[in-house]
Amino acid sequence: MKRLTTNVLALATAWCVAGPVCAQAGASVFDTPPPAAAPRPLNIGAASEQRLPNGLRVLVAQRRGLPLVTAQLVLLSGAEQDPEKQAGLASLTNSLLVRGTAKRTASSLAVAAEALGGSLESTAAWDQAQLGITVTTPKLSQALALLSEAARTPAFANDEIDRLKSEVLDAMKVEQAQPGNLAGLAAQRAAFGAGAYGHPINGTLASLPRIKRDDIVAAHQRIYRPDNAVLVFAGDVDSKQAFKLAQQHFATWQPTKTAPKINLAAMPVNGASSWPDGVLVLNMPGAGQAGVAVAMPAPPSHAAQRHIAQVTNAILGDGYSSRLNQEIRIKRGLSYGARSRWDARRQAGLVRVSVQTKNPSAAEVVALIDEQLNSLMTTPVPEPELAARKTSLIGGFGRSVETTRGLAEQVTELAVAGLPQLDLTQRIERLGGVSAADVQAYSASTFKSKQRRVVVAGVAGDFESALKAAGNPVVVVDANGFDLESGKAPQP
Amino acid sequence: MKPNRLWPVLLLATSATSLAASLDVKPIAFTERQLANGLQVLAIENHASPTVSVQVWYHVGSKDDPAGRSGFAHLFEHLMFKSTQNLKPEQFDRLTEDVGGSNNAFTAPDVTAYHEVVPSNHLQTILWAEAERMSNLKIDEPNFKSERAVVQEEYRQRVLASPYGRLFNGIDPAAYQVHPYKRPGIGSIEDLDAASVADVVAFHKTYYRPDNATLVVAGDFEPKQLQAWIDQYFSRIKRPVEAIPQVTVQEPVWASDRHVQLTGPQVPLPAIAIVWQAPPVSNSDAPALKVAAAILSAGDSSRLNQALVYRGQMASQTGFEADLRKGTGLLTAYAMAASGKTLSDIGKVLEEQVKALASKTVSQAELDKVKTTLLTQALVERQTPLGQASALADAAVQLGDAKQFNSALAALQKVTATDVQRVMKRYVASAHKVSVSYTQEPKAQESVKKEAAQ
Repeated sequence: MKRLTTNVLALATAWCVAGPVCAQAGASVFDTPPPAAAPRPLNIGAASEQRLPNGLRVLVAQRRGLPLVTAQLVLLSGAEQDPEKQAGLASLTNSLLVRGTAKRTASSLAVAAEALGGSLESTAAWDQAQLGITVTTPKLSQALALLSEAARTPAFANDEIDRLKSEVLDAMKVEQAQPGNLAGLAAQRAAFGAGAYGHPINGTLASLPRIKRDDIVAAHQRIYRPDNAVLVFAGDVDSKQAFKLAQQHFATWQPTKTAPKINLAAMPVNGASSWPDGVLVLNMPGAGQAGVAVAMPAPPSHAAQRHIAQVTNAILGDGYSSRLNQEIRIKRGLSYGARSRWDARRQAGLVRVSVQTKNPSAAEVVALIDEQLNSLMTTPVPEPELAARKTSLIGGFGRSVETTRGLAEQVTELAVAGLPQLDLTQRIERLGGVSAADVQAYSASTFKSKQRRVVVAGVAGDFESALKAAGNPVVVVDANGFDLESGKAPQP
Repeated sequence: MKPNRLWPVLLLATSATSLAASLDVKPIAFTERQLANGLQVLAIENHASPTVSVQVWYHVGSKDDPAGRSGFAHLFEHLMFKSTQNLKPEQFDRLTEDVGGSNNAFTAPDVTAYHEVVPSNHLQTILWAEAERMSNLKIDEPNFKSERAVVQEEYRQRVLASPYGRLFNGIDPAAYQVHPYKRPGIGSIEDLDAASVADVVAFHKTYYRPDNATLVVAGDFEPKQLQAWIDQYFSRIKRPVEAIPQVTVQEPVWASDRHVQLTGPQVPLPAIAIVWQAPPVSNSDAPALKVAAAILSAGDSSRLNQALVYRGQMASQTGFEADLRKGTGLLTAYAMAASGKTLSDIGKVLEEQVKALASKTVSQAELDKVKTTLLTQALVERQTPLGQASALADAAVQLGDAKQFNSALAALQKVTATDVQRVMKRYVASAHKVSVSYTQEPKAQESVKKEAAQ
């Protein structure tokens, strides 16, 4: 595959970028690309919404044509709620919803969902936890009945808890054996220190065994309540029909009376002032590549600069033609793909760069990332590049709403960020309005070198001296011994 | 936006006793023609969104890698995004990404596919560009070397740095005895180092020609205009007089069971794969094998997940794939151990579960469940121009008949419990297997041993 990630499907936008696309007079029609025709408009409507008397917010984004619907129940709390020493609690609680209810065992619940053509998908993230399913329209009511049953009446049987913990611990071992994943998790920890958003969403090898059934039951009572949830429909369903189904399956949902006083504030984001500058190296003997990650706290998901954050990220590292991929992959052949991501969260966002490269190139890649961050801070982005990356970003947004699942995600993202649904209809215009000066000012405040947390996971002996020679303070620890849980800076 | 009349529609029977039987997929209309130079042209008109997907599938894949050049077809795929006579390096990205579109490509054992999605007002430009790289590819030494380095990093990322990369990369070499499918499609660092610009020129001349390609366009276009542009840009490309080389080697029926042991330096949990030979993808048994694969591995309720992960708690992951190809394919069952479990127990249960489909008839309810799942997955894929074009191209190139784009879904729905049992008897229970184990190699570093002991 040419690309590391396959982000397929496009859509027309109001944008037409001239440049190499335009034919030049005098040449043969076969020697130059023919010009583009007039663009066709993309119409994206805002979701309709209604609130049930119990507080449940229902959002409906209709997309006609194909008899498919994605339905997802979204809780507006996620891993940021995990108490200290219990990293992974939100994720474990949400995953257990599909592991048996008052009426059904885990296996019979899976059979019931899969007989409808979809499967119950449970995902916990920052600020949210989801339970979703995609089915053909005739199966929608049955699918909602299962969503409601799973979210409201989970059994939380002890043997299911033990079983799931073992599965997650094994998955963690596999995940952390990949240098890029491990570097990314460590960089996130370094960026947020001991604050919320620092730990791995799935927890750690140490935290999972500490979580008991009582903790899970309490988390469920605290978080899974109609006034802390949104039900999203996207696809072949009109709002009237969807509101009726929501009523039918969720109207009797009431928060547990014995639930403790609700306190849904996350742990504070207190930054990572205790982390030293320089590069943290996680030594992984025998690793096939080095994973390089650079992370920086960024504005939150609802911030006024969110469109600037998105455009800046597109220029830096989102997409094949972004600067990081140009410099690291296309010009120098140092990686299969260099990426950055702006991960928008309610209290604070995170910009994270990730690259895998052969071990001996790791120091060079660290320097190239620094160079690109510095350049965005000090030099305005040339207008043609800015226009191209904005158009690319807008095209990707349009492609994302071509599927019921993608449309549901866009609607969900706004609800989780606390933004109005109207934002969807204004997105193209807002992204289009971002200027080179906006990008530079945002970069100057977000990418300051003392805010960058750099982690390299790989064969330390292959790059440690090159990192030091480039003037980086370096701390080397054994990857197996690194404590993702504490948030304390490691000592050499 | 015009209403689209071409989407498949599900008809629901009013009093269905069998869920799957009540689902009927309306065919998606498409057009098919062939240019005088041999290029196959397929199109699906669909105005659901103002985008269009253009794809060119060349009937050449990793099995056609030249001798001593494993990984070459894939390296070549990367180079198709570099320069041509009239396109600068990466100009393809300017014509797609920079106008709000996307592009990508993949290399499989039998086929190399290039696909773009662009706002539909850019359709003409992309048709021109695909014709340009079909006829005028021009690669220089610096671009060749830097892209070869990228592919070597792709090799390191997929094979060396991925926890089970060495296992999955090792299955074809372990299983095939004589067929060129035995060479991994990603190649090796040494074979990639041996490749040259001269190889690129020869490969393009031999395989990248209109009579060895299928062009598919799906999405928002005006049919007459589309065909006029295709005539304008593709008809002028000449059909070479030389015959297209074909792999004619046949993989023999395996005469005995074999076992291969693989190791790696960073294996988080040991794993095992068991493979059997599968008939060609165009064989009439293919639909029943796809249904069998779904019974074994689609979803949490699938047999392998229930037996090995959920009930048995002996595996952390498991799956089964009907890897069907133009020639002999593979039926691959695999499982990664749960902590503290041994491969011998896992291998035994894995094999028992697969063979149970040959010894006992599957229930109607279970059959209906997987058919509904497979149908829903097909609809999900066909939501977008890219998904529609990919499914149509796959039918035309892999199955050898574009009409199978519609009829293959119907064929899946017709599979009976008896069919599933019959094919599993034939290709699994009465055939020989190759098992591949994957375990940690002895660790050299003292510090690592110390950590593990703590």
